Parts: sequence; C-alpha cells; structure tokens
Amino acid sequence: MAEFSLIGKSVPRVDGVEKVTGKAGYAADFSLPGMLWCKLVRSPYAHARIVNIDASRALRLPGVKAVVTGKDFGGWTWGWMPATRDEPPVAVDKVRYWAEAVAGIAAIDEDTAEEACDLVDVEYEELPGVFDPEEAMKDGAPAVHDYAENNISVQYHWNFGDVEKAFADAYIVREDRFATSRATKGYIEPPATLAYYDPSGYITVRAAKQSPYFHYRHLAACFKLPLSRVRVIQPYIGGGFGGTKNDSLAGDFCAVLLSKMTGKPVKYVESMEEELTTSRRRHNMITYSKMGATRDGIITAIQHKVIADGGGYTAVGPLSLYLAGFGTTLPYKLDNFKYDGYRVFTNNPMGAAMRGHGVTHTRFAAECQMDMIADELGMDRLEIRMKNSIDNPAPGTTYTTINGVTLKTCGMKEAFRQVAEPYWHERNELPKKEGNISWGVGVSGAPYLTGARQMGHQACAAIIRLCEDGTVNLITGATDCGQGSDTVLAMIAAEELGIPVSAVISQKVDTSYTPADPGSYGSRVTVLGGQAVQKAAQEVKKQLVEVAAQTWKVKPEDVDIRDGMVFVASDPDKQMPFDRMARVACYSGTGAVIMGTGYSTYGLEPLGMESGYGNAGVSYSFTAQTARVGVDLETGQLTTQSFTIASDCGRMLNPLLAEGQIEGGAIQGLGQAIYEDFIMDKGRTLNPTFVDYKMPHSVDIPEMKLIDVETNDPDGPYGAKEASEASHVSTPPAVICAIHDAAGVWIKEQPATPEKIVKALKEKAKEKAQK
Amino acid sequence: MVTFYRRLPKFDYLAPQSIEEALALLSRYQGSAKVIAGGSDVVPKLKRRAMKGIDYIVDLKGISGLDYISYDGAGLKLGPLATVRAVERSDVVLETFPMLAQAAESMASPQVRNRGTVVGNICNAVPSADMAPSLLTLDAKVSVVSEKGSRTVAIQDFFTGPTKTVLSADEIVTGIEIPNPPANSRGKYIKLTPRRAMDLAVVGVAVMVTPENGICKDLRIALGAVSPTPIRVAQAESILKGNKFSDELIDQVAEAAAEGCRPISDHRASAEYRRDMVRVLTRRAIRELLSDEAASAQGFGKGA
Amino acid sequence: MKSIKLEINGVQHEVEVAPWRTLLEVIREELQMTGTKEGCGLGECGACSVLMDGKTVNSCLVLAAEANGKRITTIEGLAQAERLHPIQQSFIDNGGFQCGFCTPGMIMSTKVMLDDNPNPTDDEIKKGISGNLCRCTGYAKIFDSIRAAKVAMAASSDGRGGA
Repeated sequence: MAEFSLIGKSVPRVDGVEKVTGKAGYAADFSLPGMLWCKLVRSPYAHARIVNIDASRALRLPGVKAVVTGKDFGGWTWGWMPATRDEPPVAVDKVRYWAEAVAGIAAIDEDTAEEACDLVDVEYEELPGVFDPEEAMKDGAPAVHDYAENNISVQYHWNFGDVEKAFADAYIVREDRFATSRATKGYIEPPATLAYYDPSGYITVRAAKQSPYFHYRHLAACFKLPLSRVRVIQPYIGGGFGGTKNDSLAGDFCAVLLSKMTGKPVKYVESMEEELTTSRRRHNMITYSKMGATRDGIITAIQHKVIADGGGYTAVGPLSLYLAGFGTTLPYKLDNFKYDGYRVFTNNPMGAAMRGHGVTHTRFAAECQMDMIADELGMDRLEIRMKNSIDNPAPGTTYTTINGVTLKTCGMKEAFRQVAEPYWHERNELPKKEGNISWGVGVSGAPYLTGARQMGHQACAAIIRLCEDGTVNLITGATDCGQGSDTVLAMIAAEELGIPVSAVISQKVDTSYTPADPGSYGSRVTVLGGQAVQKAAQEVKKQLVEVAAQTWKVKPEDVDIRDGMVFVASDPDKQMPFDRMARVACYSGTGAVIMGTGYSTYGLEPLGMESGYGNAGVSYSFTAQTARVGVDLETGQLTTQSFTIASDCGRMLNPLLAEGQIEGGAIQGLGQAIYEDFIMDKGRTLNPTFVDYKMPHSVDIPEMKLIDVETNDPDGPYGAKEASEASHVSTPPAVICAIHDAAGVWIKEQPATPEKIVKALKEKAKEKAQK
Repeated sequence: MVTFYRRLPKFDYLAPQSIEEALALLSRYQGSAKVIAGGSDVVPKLKRRAMKGIDYIVDLKGISGLDYISYDGAGLKLGPLATVRAVERSDVVLETFPMLAQAAESMASPQVRNRGTVVGNICNAVPSADMAPSLLTLDAKVSVVSEKGSRTVAIQDFFTGPTKTVLSADEIVTGIEIPNPPANSRGKYIKLTPRRAMDLAVVGVAVMVTPENGICKDLRIALGAVSPTPIRVAQAESILKGNKFSDELIDQVAEAAAEGCRPISDHRASAEYRRDMVRVLTRRAIRELLSDEAASAQGFGKGA
Repeated sequence: MKSIKLEINGVQHEVEVAPWRTLLEVIREELQMTGTKEGCGLGECGACSVLMDGKTVNSCLVLAAEANGKRITTIEGLAQAERLHPIQQSFIDNGGFQCGFCTPGMIMSTKVMLDDNPNPTDDEIKKGISGNLCRCTGYAKIFDSIRAAKVAMAASSDGRGGA
C-alpha cells in the first residue's frame, strides 16, 4: 500500500470549475446597491510640498458625494514595523513620489469621479527631487524624510568570520558592481476593493489582498476600531507575488473613509497604468560584490555592499534589505561574510517585496562572480558549484552557516548532479553558432526560504468542523492567490482524515470567522498552513476514532480511517463508511460536536535583523538550473531555448501544482533577466503599460524540463518545502551566465536587453582592437 | 493633476451608412470628429486622454463594401476596413505581396489584428507603424476623399510627422492601391523587438530587391521607428541600383541607410542603437533576400 | 443613449448604453456577467477577450455601439449546463491556470484557435495565445492544456469532447 493516498498526487485544483467557467468572483466583480465609485487625485510632482487643496469645484459637480484628503486621516501613518511607520494613507503635507495620491473622490459612477479629479485644485510647491540612491546618500542631497539622515531608511552591518584575512590569503579576488532592475509583480488583476463602513461602526471590505489580515490590522488602526469590527472578506485573488497585494493602498483607505462619510458602499478599482506607475515594486539594488577563492576554486569570502532604492516610504524595506544579506551564505559553504546594506529613500515609487524577495539581487551577483572566478581559474562552471555546495546533512543532523542559518535538508548538490547529465556536459555537442546566433549555456544555483518570519504574528491556524454527512469545513486564514494552496490544504485535510478531497469544503478568509494568518507571504502557506491543517485534521480524526472505539468497544489505537472507511484492522466486521460514522458521532447520545483546531509551530526563532544571525525561514529550498540561450551577435536579440530546473522543494505534495509554481517562477525570472524594467525620468515611470513593461508572452517561452530532487524536510508537513521562489532566483543568473557563454560579455545590470548586449559587444571589440 | 482613467471620455457615436454621409459629418464637426475603423488605436488614446477634444466618433463600419482586399492583375487594393488579420491571411496577399502579410503578422496580437486595419495603421502614423515600411517600398498610393473632392497621395508623401499625416480633419482614406512589384523582385520586412509578440518595432526595415544576372536592377529600402515618420532612403537605394551585387556595396548601402535616418532616444532604445540596427538589418535583409535559391543561381553567394 | 442589440451566448439582449461605453463595461456592469475580466483596459493583456462574430476581440477596445447586432460569446457561454467544454476540462486537468484571472480570455483565444485549426502545431499554439498575458504559469501548462484539448476535441464526434 502506498504511503499516502493523496499526498504526492497531481490532484486537480479544487477551484478549477469556478475559474474556467468565469464564476470565480474577484474583487472588482462585486457590486452593492447604491454603491459609489472612488477615484484618486494624484500628484504631478515627485517631490513637492502641498500648500493647499481646494475641492470645492469638484464637490459642486453633480454626482460627487464626498472628497477626502490626507488631513482627514487624522495624522495616522503606517508601515511594516513600529519604528518605520512613515506612510500616510494619502499624502498630507508633502508628496514623495510621482503620482502619489493627494485626494480621493466618491461619486455616483466612475465617470463622474474621474471627471471630478480634474476639478480638485491642489497648490504645490515643487521641491528638488532625488532619484538615484547613491546620489541620495550624499551630503546635501534633498531630504525625502526629515528623520532619515542622508536619506538612509535602514542599514545593516554584519561581519562574520574575517573577510579581510580571507581576501589577503585568497589566490584570487574579484570586485564587481551588479544591479537588478525595477521589476514588478505583473499580476493581471489590478488592485480593487469594495468597502462599506456601516454607520453602527463596522467595516466590511472585499479586497484583492493576498494577506487579508494585514489589511484588517491597517484598517482597524487607521479607523481606530477594535479588530472585531473589521471584516475583510477575501474574494478570488488574481495573482499576488508580494508587495502591493500584501499591503494596503491609498484607494483602500479612501474607499473606507468615503464610505464612512457618505453611508454608502464604495468601490475602487485601480487602472493598470496606475498600478504600474505607483505600486510597490521590487527594489532595484546595486551590489558591490567582492569574492575571494583559493586556487582550487573554494570560495573563501564574500563581501557585499548593497544599496537599495527604497523610494518614498519604508514599507517592507527593512525585510527586503535583511533578506538581501541573509541569503548570501546559501547555497555554498562560506566561512567569511561581510554585509553592509543600505536602503535609501528617493523620490521614486516604493521598493517593496516581490517573489524571490531580497535573495534575487545578491544571488545574481554571486553566481555571476563565481563564473568569472571559475573562468579565470580555468575551471568548469558547474564543477566550482559542486565543489562549494553545502552537503545534504545526514538525517537528524543540522548544517549551520556562518551566520547561524540551520539546514536540516539541502538538495543543492544532488540538484547540480541532476542537471549535469546530460544538460551541462552535453552542451558542447549542441551547435555553438548558427548564422548570426551564438549559443551558450549557463548554470546557476539558488536557495530560498520557506515561511519568511515576521516581526509579529507568525503562525498559521486551521479549524476543521465535521458535518454529519461526512464532509468537513476547512477554515483557515490562508489565502490562495493562485499558487494552489486551497487545493493542497484540502488534500492534507483529506489525507489525514482518510476521505476524498471533494469531501473537504474550503472556506475563504473572512477575518470575522477565520483564524488570523499572515496570508500568502514569504512562501509559508503550504508548510505553515499545512502543518496547522494537519494538526486540526488529526484532532478531528482522534475524536471520531474515539467515537468508533466506544461504538465498537475497542481501544482507540485499534481504529483507523482510510479511503473513506473507519475500520478495525484486526476485525473485518468492524468497519463503517466515514459518513455513517460521522452520523453516529453527531447523533449518538447528546451528539458530539467534532471540531479540530491546530496552529503551526515551525519557526519560532525571532528574526535577527540587526545581528544578521539566525534563521529567516523554517526550511530552505534549492534549485539548480541550466539555461540555453542564443544571442544574435549583431542585434543583441535573445532566444531562450531551454531551461532545465532541478528543484529540491522537499517533497512535492502535488506535482502538478508544484511544477506550475516552478515554471511560473522561472518565467517571471526570465522577464526580470532580459525584458523587464521601469524606465524612469525624474521619478516618473515612462513605460507603465504592458506594451512597454515587457513581460514574457507565450511565444517567448523556452522548453522547460523539471527534475524533482526530493529531500523530505522534517520541518514541513510530509517533508514539504517552498517551491517557485528558488527557481525565480536561479533563472536570472542562469540566463545571464548563458549570455556570457554565448557572446563573451557580462551584462551586470539586469535586464540584459538587446541594446545592452550590443553595447557590451562593441566595447569588447574596441578593447580587443586596442590590445 | 494626474488621473489614470479607466473610462472613456464622453462623445457621441455616429455610424454613417455611406462615404458621403461620413464626409458630411466630418465637414460639419470639423476637428471634433474622429473617424474609426477598428478603433484599436483610437480607443486606447481616448482612454488615456492622449487624444482630446473629440466629441464625435465616426465609425466607418456601417458602410458596406469597404473591407475589400482585391487583386486585378495590375495591383492590390485594400479597403479602409480591411483588417490587419485579413491581410495577413489573404491568399492573394500571401502569393503576390508576402512582405505585406509578414508585416501584418508582426503586429500586436491576434485580438488587435482582428480589429485594427491596415489603413488605420497608416492613418495613426506612429513612426513605428508596421505596415508603413512595406507599403513604402511597394510605392503604394493612398486614395483620399472629402466633400471638396478626391485626391491620391503617394505613400511617400502621406506621413508628415509623428502621428501626423497629410489628411485634413474632413478627409477619409478610402483605400490603398499597391501596384505590382517589379518582376522577379522579392521583399522582406524585419522588425526588431525584444519580445516576439505585442511589441512595437524598435527598428523596422523593409527591403525590396530585384536582382537580374547578378546586377541590382532595383532596390527599395524603407525604415520605421528611426525618423519622425516612416521613410524611404533613396540615397542608400541608389548605391546598388544598376551595379553588380558585392559585399562592399551592400555594406555601403547599409551605411547610407543608417546615415539617412534621424532616430531619437526614448525609453525603448537609444538613437545610437537604432542607427546601428538600421545598418545591421538593412544589410541582413538584402543578404537574406539574395541568398534565396534564385539569387544563388545567378552566381551570387557569400563572399562573392 | 443608444439602444443596441447584442446576442450573447445565444441570448438576445437589448440595452440602453451611453455612446462611450465599451462592450466590456456593458457585459460586466449592465449585464452583470463578470466572467470576462478587465486587466489593462488598453488591449494589451487579453484578459477581456470575447468572441465577436467568431473572432477574438479585446472587449475593452470595442465600443458597445460597435457591437450592435453582433453575436458575442463569453466564457459563460462555453459550458453546456453542467458539462464543461473540453477546453475547460483540459485546463483543469493539466494545470493550465493558477490565479485564474487571465483564464477566461485565454480559453476564448484557445477556442478560436482550435475552431480555426483543429490540429495546431506547438508553434501555432504559442502564436494563437500570443495576445493573452499570463503571469502565473509561465505558459508551459497552458500549452499542455491546449495540446490535450486538441486531442480530446478530435476524439469526439461533435468536436466538443462528447461521445
């Protein structure tokens, strides 16, 4: 008999029918009678003092019901940590980035609200702006926030081992500057909310949030209400990927306040151009990387100075900067590591979280630099990785990095082995040149953390209620923003209870009834939510087994449940279908009320943000990847032909869904590597459309081969770890290393656009001519 | 004030049943009326308020018989409602003017091509208009009417600046006529983009060449996205005309094409890169056209 | 206001609309059929794709008045009662979506592609959905879904995957 009846099987999504028939309701799909529409007035300056706002003309427009400005929020500000709450819902006395909201309008329809925006008279006093983080750190640069000296929003200085000695002793030391782009999440569903502030003092919202409980806390704090009076109901979510949908937006706050003022429900839907212009995107980070190695290619030291463009406010920036440092000691052994990280305020839109959070920047730098070192040493690029990879700790043991990160499983080496044959070693048998196209293959390794820790509430929880017909209600605070967690959590409940997935009815988040949860945040749901569901289901099973034991007058340990049957293994007469036993339990005697609860207990160690020491996650996933890329040596155009991705995501609980995550993460990484970047002019985004912000289309996709490297981590339900963020992180270096292999040029600033490649080729030709 | 609109501005929608009726509307409303065929350029512009002062939309789709793609032996005629998709898939276009089908297929997405028209693409007149370079090399003629009369405008004279044409507010394009290309000619449109779909041309190069016994009987080169309008580069064309093909001359042609354009730097590319790519793609297009079987039969090959 | 007639999924509708309303707005707001999604609103993402007289269009770029008298098919019109269209079933079975927001448009593009050409090559499949952005899947499982749908539809006598 198989170990599990459901775990490890490609069970189709539980929300499939709703999604393919158009019945799934997303935030913008909801309406209420008498509802008003909210539209935001935004600033035409990136940095300016707000002298005066006069909304009287707007209020006179027929159909306009109310206007709010920053002052109406009573000075409340918010942010990720208490010390950094510097962001008002709507700008109060100063705007700090282009198109920051300065007022919100409610009108009977969206056309009227839009028309009224032009009638709000705002008087600004433009201030000098600062748009380059390195410029912003200089003395005398314009101050974005008065409290931040030299515009430094957050900084970390960590020093493990002795990098100075290691560099002095190293056979080879390299210093390079790398930069990542201004990439964004790129979900197709723009942010939206439908808010109602009940005159009796309750807020109810349906909002596109991947972390509804963050929003619930923000609204309670902003409107000074007890949490029990804030109800955030989660609709279907059209993609998350971190950042904006973890957080609350000006439109969210304005919709609620406008509802309070008018007594009507208020709907707000952001335009995609608005989203692409103003939303929280990935920090673009500059990494000054110094790496030392022995003659044999053992990496002995890494020193990183990272400068992150934080934009106008702090947001989740402290965590971004922390993760950019923390991740550097994985996935290779490293004895000496120094990190100086600076997150800097500028008058750009905010830098915040996005898939591959933090780790993607410094891993890109380190992977490329490792190749440079391997090339200089005349060493195979895969061999240097094999040599340095952290070994899989023996069962029951732990590997601890120099900065206190503990691994119980690590499939990095095995993943490299898996991509070695045939993909890496056979690369030289493939054509190297075809016409103008030169082909190259890159290899990279990447880690990611499962269940990023929080400063505050960390746990996920679950409640399972047994119904008398044998179905169960699964109630969690987890949010499926597309990754498939509703399906995986239902599978876990069904597995533990021995019932089919179809008997598990999942409840979407409703903060009035579901347990508090950080939501889809830091690759936590499968592992932490999964553990909570597992415990709750075990609790239900225990209660039902006790009923069966009493019914059959046997010991509870003799009773088991599998494939929809409750049975005593030793006595074929004692078996009963699950639903009948549920009825027995619910009806016999006074009638039992069978409910199980559970909450996650993995990862209780606090986050050591100042020291840089200790774990950021519960467990760590690893990806080895190769990429074969063709470079048109004349135009710089790229053909991404194939990816091979070997992933250690612990145990895949549902291969169909896990593969989808890995593929999706990789293609989002491809976009970041070669296409995607916001082009800015003094804080203004010049390409806020999907024509010019270039996400991959179907015709841009390489063949993808996935390899599962199973490690079975003890700190995850059934051995599961994170999937997708590691492949998102391994893709940009794999692609950019492949470009180097093909064309002999290093593109150290993402994205590797055709123009950058041609420029680099020209410079190389010039250097060659000079020699 | 910055507002990101999700809704269209208010306008009236008019659907004339005849060209005459449409012209009367344009004449009556002067500059406040805008003609649409597919609307795939105009509607987003209106939504983004990139086009202002439009009180009337005059939709030509109520007029029957304007979606023709016809070939009469002397040339091809495209009606103002012939969609990009229809041109891309038309048998006669594929047989006689494959370069046009190729340019059509390179545009935007199937959804947009199902609505957008070839005439609309040139009337929109962005410097990167994908249909323009091919039509320029084919010496297409644009038929224009107003209440005052009709005129024919050579495509070379049609564009006057970025998103500007010779059309006045009361005029409508009633068709494009494309004469047969020279016998034995062959053409190609190369569109340089980072992605393979939904991208605007960073550089567009259309080349039509007529080789005869190793001699260049005719050469036409048109460029998109590298000048305020799509252009022909006559100076470059003249270098090879009447001469024997050689790598040196082809390089000279490419260089002259690069010198003949006036690209700008914007968020899509720098002027320098665009100019470089004109050189690269002009050379590439000529070489690829010549490396066809027929050309090699004429004794021209690599390094000849 | 204009009075227009739309045949949507075989049902006749007569609606009064302002001249500046788009087909998407009418479908979603006037007729309350919210299966068709608005992504970018500028014809760049394909989420709002519907069939108009058998061809895919971005309904955000079509004026409602332009659609007067047209035959429209939306995602709500594919399944027959409880029976899913084979394309829908194939997307479920092959993991052809994650968040599901691009899915209605993606499925409509797939339907037209397979109606036009029951046996597309892999390259034709990629081109057929090149106007539909998906950010979640990386497209691989969408390709799988379309390949499987092609087989299922070919195997059925009515082209819908039925017996």
